[in-house]
Amino acid sequence: MSSSSAPPIAAHGLVREFGDVRAVDGVDLEVAEGEIFGFLGPNGAGKSTTVRMLTTLLRPTDGTASVAGFDVVREPARVRASIGVALQDAAIDPLMTGRELLHLQATLYGIGRRAGRDRSEVLLDRVGLTEAADRLVGGYSGGMRRRLDLALALMHEPAVLFLDEPTTGLDPMSRLNLWGEVRRLNTELGTTVFLTTQYLEEADELAHRVAIIDHGTIVREGTPATLKSEVGLPTLLIDVDPGDEERTHEALVGVGEPRPARAGRVAVGLYAGAAGAADAVRALDAAGISIHHMELNTPSLDDVFAEATGRRLEGAAEAAAEDAS
Amino acid sequence: MTVTAPSPAPSAASPSVPSWPLIQQILRRSMTSLRRIPAAIIPVIVMPIFFTVAFSGTFRGLTELPGYPTDNIYNWMVPYACLQTASFAALASAFTLGRDLEGGFYDRLLLAPAARWTVPAASVLWAMIRALLPLSITLVLGIIGGMTFPGGIAAVWWLAIGAFAVAALGSLWGLGVMYRLQRQSAGGLVQIGLFVVMFLSVGTVPLELQEGWLPHVARLNPLTYILDMARCGFVGTCAWSDIWPGLLAIAVSGVLLGWWAERGWRRLVP
Repeated sequence: MSSSSAPPIAAHGLVREFGDVRAVDGVDLEVAEGEIFGFLGPNGAGKSTTVRMLTTLLRPTDGTASVAGFDVVREPARVRASIGVALQDAAIDPLMTGRELLHLQATLYGIGRRAGRDRSEVLLDRVGLTEAADRLVGGYSGGMRRRLDLALALMHEPAVLFLDEPTTGLDPMSRLNLWGEVRRLNTELGTTVFLTTQYLEEADELAHRVAIIDHGTIVREGTPATLKSEVGLPTLLIDVDPGDEERTHEALVGVGEPRPARAGRVAVGLYAGAAGAADAVRALDAAGISIHHMELNTPSLDDVFAEATGRRLEGAAEAAAEDAS
Repeated sequence: MTVTAPSPAPSAASPSVPSWPLIQQILRRSMTSLRRIPAAIIPVIVMPIFFTVAFSGTFRGLTELPGYPTDNIYNWMVPYACLQTASFAALASAFTLGRDLEGGFYDRLLLAPAARWTVPAASVLWAMIRALLPLSITLVLGIIGGMTFPGGIAAVWWLAIGAFAVAALGSLWGLGVMYRLQRQSAGGLVQIGLFVVMFLSVGTVPLELQEGWLPHVARLNPLTYILDMARCGFVGTCAWSDIWPGLLAIAVSGVLLGWWAERGWRRLVP
């Protein structure tokens, strides 16, 4: 049953199992009205599975969830009428034109023919696709497909918008454009946005609040600023000769605490803050360790992720893409 | 953090979208897709020609066998070719479904706030509509070849019932397979199933002239009875004894294949 006081999105103990695999393992979350909520995690962490449960595409194995005040299991049609969804793979038919897809979407949401056509024109204009509207979607660039997907999700003016990795595979300019559109939707219309992403920068830029999910469990939740401040110490990244990592850590024992890093790189959280960098250089010099590169990073969401999981998320998406190719 | 923002506009979507406009729109989209892939239209036209010409030519000599129900091979083969092409319509519908499942478009349909049964219903309906064109082509070819209508207009009526039923039943079979495997390549399995049912029936040879294990299998095959019904007006006049086994076979197959499709559907959607 809908309740005006119910948060737009709420989940309690949400679980989804696929055979023996527990893809989502007891997720609790609450998203406030008008909020952009970033759901951050690596590939396979359970982001998309959570979205599919919240959007009624997948039945939870256990737990409860409500969207727009409606239970996702008991009132799925009401949930679907209240939400807009842009899924990970930009689910659009390449054999249709942008305009045809918008008209189809209008029918799917019970919007009359004339109203659907008018709304299509507004949305095409909004996402900058008016000129390409009569071209087959199969000929669209990745950015155009994503923008069309967003327009489709907005057809029925949903109160809650789910964006599942909306900028994956987009070039930087397309990504910036999409970010601008999401911000505009949120500030001008007050649309609540549930945004899953594997890009730290995206979550940092857009989200009012972030939850980090790993292995199906939320490991951190809060505003980006709070989460980063909790990590506390700035991180010094030092590239050394392969095999020197252990010696470097030993040399820096009094300077900072070890953090996870790739081979050939040592990361330490400086006890003395940024001023500790000079101590680190002196300590390494005294130990006779060659430094190839050094950089000082103030805490980022990647540090938050690393602190919570013992692994780094930064570059994981690109590495996965390279592995796939 | 809770952000102060203007209250979002209420969703414009109806919480209960009417089913028929949705089905119509899905059908319109299927027709558009068919129009835009010329390669998909070719089998629709070529297969009826192939079946009619190949079956009628290859098996012409069968009519000389004692006990063969007709002396006109077209009267025997054209109804079979019609049902074959109807099964191809079901196969094409399954491939479209596989493409939509693989590409994610099916999720868009499932996200509509409409009764979800409309989505598979549109697939079945599309298979039946798609069967209309090859059915017409095959009939015209048969007439050109010399097919006669000893049963009068009832011949066409029962043939059409049989062909649409095969399209619908084949489509239910395809839905069940595709919902379970969720990829276009599963169309091969759908095709094998349809072919086996088609060939292990009385498609080319009447039951009385089959030997060995074949007539036993054909007797158990519901298509045998659907085909007998579809042919009745082409090999004589249609009697109720020709019709009711066919209708019963359609009903029983419909229940079983509907259950098969529904179980697959339940794996796909909550």
